[in-house]
Amino acid sequence: MRFDDAPERFRSGHPGDTFSGASGVLFEQAMAQTRMAICLVDPHDEDLPIVFANRAFRRLTGYSEEEIVGRNCRFLQGPRTDPEAVARLRDAIKNEDVVVVELLNYRKNGTTFWNALHVGPIYNNEGELVYLFGSQWDVSDVRAARAEEQLAREMSRELSHRMKNMFAVISGIVNVTGRARGISEEAGEINSRIQALGRAYETTLDETSGGSIDIGEAIRAVMNPYQRYEGRLEMEGNGARTPFTAISVVGLVLHELCANATKHGAWSDESDEGKVHLSWVIDEAGANLLIDWHESGGAGIADPSSIEAGGGTAIVDRLLKGSGGSIERDWTGDGLRARIKVPTENPK
Amino acid sequence: MSGAEVTLLILEDEPFIMLDLEMAAEDSGCTVLSSANCSSALSQVESNKVDIAVLDVSLAAGETCLPVAHELAHRGIPFLLHTGDLVGDDGKVRGIDAPVVVKPTVSNEVIDTALALLENGSRADRSYAAE
Repeated sequence: MRFDDAPERFRSGHPGDTFSGASGVLFEQAMAQTRMAICLVDPHDEDLPIVFANRAFRRLTGYSEEEIVGRNCRFLQGPRTDPEAVARLRDAIKNEDVVVVELLNYRKNGTTFWNALHVGPIYNNEGELVYLFGSQWDVSDVRAARAEEQLAREMSRELSHRMKNMFAVISGIVNVTGRARGISEEAGEINSRIQALGRAYETTLDETSGGSIDIGEAIRAVMNPYQRYEGRLEMEGNGARTPFTAISVVGLVLHELCANATKHGAWSDESDEGKVHLSWVIDEAGANLLIDWHESGGAGIADPSSIEAGGGTAIVDRLLKGSGGSIERDWTGDGLRARIKVPTENPK
Repeated sequence: MSGAEVTLLILEDEPFIMLDLEMAAEDSGCTVLSSANCSSALSQVESNKVDIAVLDVSLAAGETCLPVAHELAHRGIPFLLHTGDLVGDDGKVRGIDAPVVVKPTVSNEVIDTALALLENGSRADRSYAAE
């Protein structure tokens, strides 16, 4: 069965260029069956007319063979075709270069498609230019997908921007109200919690995988301001995924531990050499996120019980209890060791 | 850090953030000038002796702080950028060599960072690449 007799007609018109032997048959069949739209152009005629177009080319463009052969490829261009891309194409042809350009082309019925057009020279055995080879591929879908992806990225960025602004405004309201009521310090405390939360959430926007997030990103974002204690914060943890809902608990708990370390622990004024080592991992059953907060090298404090009664501590305890988690605190000589458990369904 | 005898310009289109920054700056002893758009900020710079500035990058109606940043740089007045959109704003303010404070940051810290610019030497030390 013959799929396409265009090669045969081409051959009869170009007796010098024979597709001969077994490879010729294969070539003809391949040319006929391929979904790649292919054309050959005569480089010696000033207007560079198409001398051959396979079936895929006709199907892609909607033109019949008679309408194609003899015309310059530009008949596929239209008002919205980018002249710059066309110019690149023209230069490449002039220099006998191989070029790939994406062009907006027009079918016979006026509809458009994005054409990834590859053009290159074909030489004979004597090294003379005999044809220009053009292959066309409809990449409209690819371009649409790229555009969609781009749009999603932009939306996510815009959302992130707005959210940060929202947190900044909330923060402003709290501060301004606090000052107006003469409770700046309390307002400041509320504010620092809000901001820790804002940082934890902001990292989750890039994630699209069904409600679970990389908790490490959120942890690093919460801890970011404390990187100013140069070399005194070590973090270790990778690939731990938790449900989205774990963020607020983890964010606030870490914030309280940081505040505590700054006030009483490894980062306090009395502790020049104090360090915090923070690590996190999902337990083997996949049921809990385990966070290990380990201060060392700090000055230590005389009476830990004076701290444990503090407001931040109570909030942490109740938060964790409410979410089915727990915290164990251990005041060693040189700082606090806290082991925190936050329940998580295994997102797998 | 004290801002006594320091005149600080704030460019910010969100009233609550503006108010918060104003109060924090006043607490530090600064004289505060504030503007919600570029033209107002530029005339503030024109008619006052501004020492430092805090600039929100994206302003209302698609405006950015760029004209003000250029003017300040031209006059050798140090400033910082206060923004929530690091990626997007990066493109808008590329070429401006100024410290960035990411929103949300506690207002006191924003003001402290701005005041530190005064201490960290004159504008002459800081390169400014106009595009």
